[in-house]
Amino acid sequence: MDNRKTILICDDEPALRELIRASLDEGYLFAEASDGLTALELAREVEPDIVVLDLMLPRLGGLEVLARLRADEHLRDVPVLVITAWNETREDVIAAGAAEFTSKPFDPDALKASIERLLEAA
Amino acid sequence: MRRLSLQRRLVAASAVLALVVGGVFVAMILALSDMHDAREQEARSKEATASAFALQSLVLDIERNLRGYVFSGQNAFLPTYERSVRQLPTSLKKFEAVTQGEPRQGDQVKYLTSSIRLYEEDYASLVLQLAKEKSLGAAREAARQEGAFRINDIQKWFRKFHLTEAQLTEDRAQSADAKTTHAIELGVAGLSLSSALILLFGFYLARSIARPVREAAVGATELAQGDLSRRLSQSGPGEVGELTTAFNRMAESLQRAHEELAAQNKQLRESERLKSDLVNTVSHELRTPLSGVLGFTKLLLTREFDSESRRHYLGIVDAQARRLSDLINDFLDVRKIEEGRFERAQELVDVGVLLRDEATLYSLQSQHHELALDVPETPLPVLGSPDRLRQVIGNLFSNAIKYSPQGGRVEVSAGMQGDAVRVEVHDDGIGIPAEQQSRIFTKFFRADAAASGIPGTGLGLSVSRDIVESHGGHIGFVSTEGEGTTFFLELPGADGAADQLQRNPADRPKERTSQ
Repeated sequence: MDNRKTILICDDEPALRELIRASLDEGYLFAEASDGLTALELAREVEPDIVVLDLMLPRLGGLEVLARLRADEHLRDVPVLVITAWNETREDVIAAGAAEFTSKPFDPDALKASIERLLEAA
Repeated sequence: MRRLSLQRRLVAASAVLALVVGGVFVAMILALSDMHDAREQEARSKEATASAFALQSLVLDIERNLRGYVFSGQNAFLPTYERSVRQLPTSLKKFEAVTQGEPRQGDQVKYLTSSIRLYEEDYASLVLQLAKEKSLGAAREAARQEGAFRINDIQKWFRKFHLTEAQLTEDRAQSADAKTTHAIELGVAGLSLSSALILLFGFYLARSIARPVREAAVGATELAQGDLSRRLSQSGPGEVGELTTAFNRMAESLQRAHEELAAQNKQLRESERLKSDLVNTVSHELRTPLSGVLGFTKLLLTREFDSESRRHYLGIVDAQARRLSDLINDFLDVRKIEEGRFERAQELVDVGVLLRDEATLYSLQSQHHELALDVPETPLPVLGSPDRLRQVIGNLFSNAIKYSPQGGRVEVSAGMQGDAVRVEVHDDGIGIPAEQQSRIFTKFFRADAAASGIPGTGLGLSVSRDIVESHGGHIGFVSTEGEGTTFFLELPGADGAADQLQRNPADRPKERTSQ
């Protein structure tokens, strides 16, 4: 039985997906999506331990993805860390159901710490 | 009539009024004078009658005393007789005087006076002398015959005179009454006419001046309260008409100025909104590549990686930094275009080659999209900047892909149309809502893209249109919301350049690598 945690990364920019992966230690399983619809499909498929979500996504916006995750009984409690380049306020994003909020550009060490803290709390 | 100034009209109306009133007064004075004359004549008639009676009684006194003396022989009759005879010339003169200017009585008066004089001279004095000095009998005989005859004749003429004079008096009294009535009627009519004219004049003043002026005042108040569409009815003579015309002109220019200001204000607000959108867009567009650059740099600086990973990450940093640089160039392009210093190379370019190159590049970017090219092998030559034209084609491809987020087929066709090179790029994407179609070439306008999570700066189409137009061509589109969009562009073909392009195929790879 593989007890590694699964992290779902949703960002349309491949370089940023890679940066998020590189920021974390080894020992995680990664699933990646470059648009909102794929992100939802993958989330239902792999049931990740945490979702790292960019808000500006093709096909389905990040806030809509977040809303659908919160509405899904299997995924309701999965923590979501939102990364955005827009000027959304932290309050709005937390109110929409995110566990944590980081704006671009982000510090890899801080991101790593946030993800580890959320995974421990879960 | 309308051209006559109000001032002149008022002066003219006052003059007419003064003339009418003056005329009425003159007519009244004339009528009063007539009436006065008639009354005077009436009085003279009465005087003539009185004078005639006095004369008649004097003559009868003379005859009565003469007869008394002749028939009685008493001297007591003589003093009265003599006094009456002495009075006779005066009485005659007076009678002649008061009946003078009475043509109708002229003959009778003449006859009467001469009869009376003859009676006194040829009869009365002779009879008295006869009675005094010779024979009373002869005198009595004369008195009985001639005296009676003469007195009868005189009496008869007096009666005639009285009849005529009574008739005259009657006529004159009637005429005087008629003239009095006439004068009164004339006075009443004249006063009525003058009053009516003054009333009319007042009405005219009220209608043509007071009312329009009050209307103008009310209009000005409403205008001041913000009803800029307020106009006055074009009425009123002369200066008042000018006032309403000037008022309407003023209101019109106020309204126009206000509308221009409102339009400018709207434009300013729109431009403010676009600018604020731009700030968001720029910050978003810059933050993503900046995240890559800063993030990987920090990782490389603080953690250990094997050389292969390090190289890979440095490659990403390099690519993201270039993307930043490209974005900044895009913004600078806009600035250049805005400032009118857009460089344009005059090179011979084969649009077909550009299309194939860009299609290869963009088909690698999306797994969901298929780029189908229908471009002839023969050259599609235009004169211009290969880099700029590549930018336009890249922008159209990138839009076709971005705005069909469900994936699908992007059809690209090109060919000569007359002397022009025409390119069409068709997608089956979300299309452009009709109400936004007029604005899609506006700088920083991104339709619903930002809300739908579609990245971009809102500069691509604006820059593309400026490039195409600087090449003497034009760009346009046909779109139905929910069904897709076809963008087309036409560039003037380079005459006789096709052969040159075919003879020098070596130029083509050079173009391909020039971005």
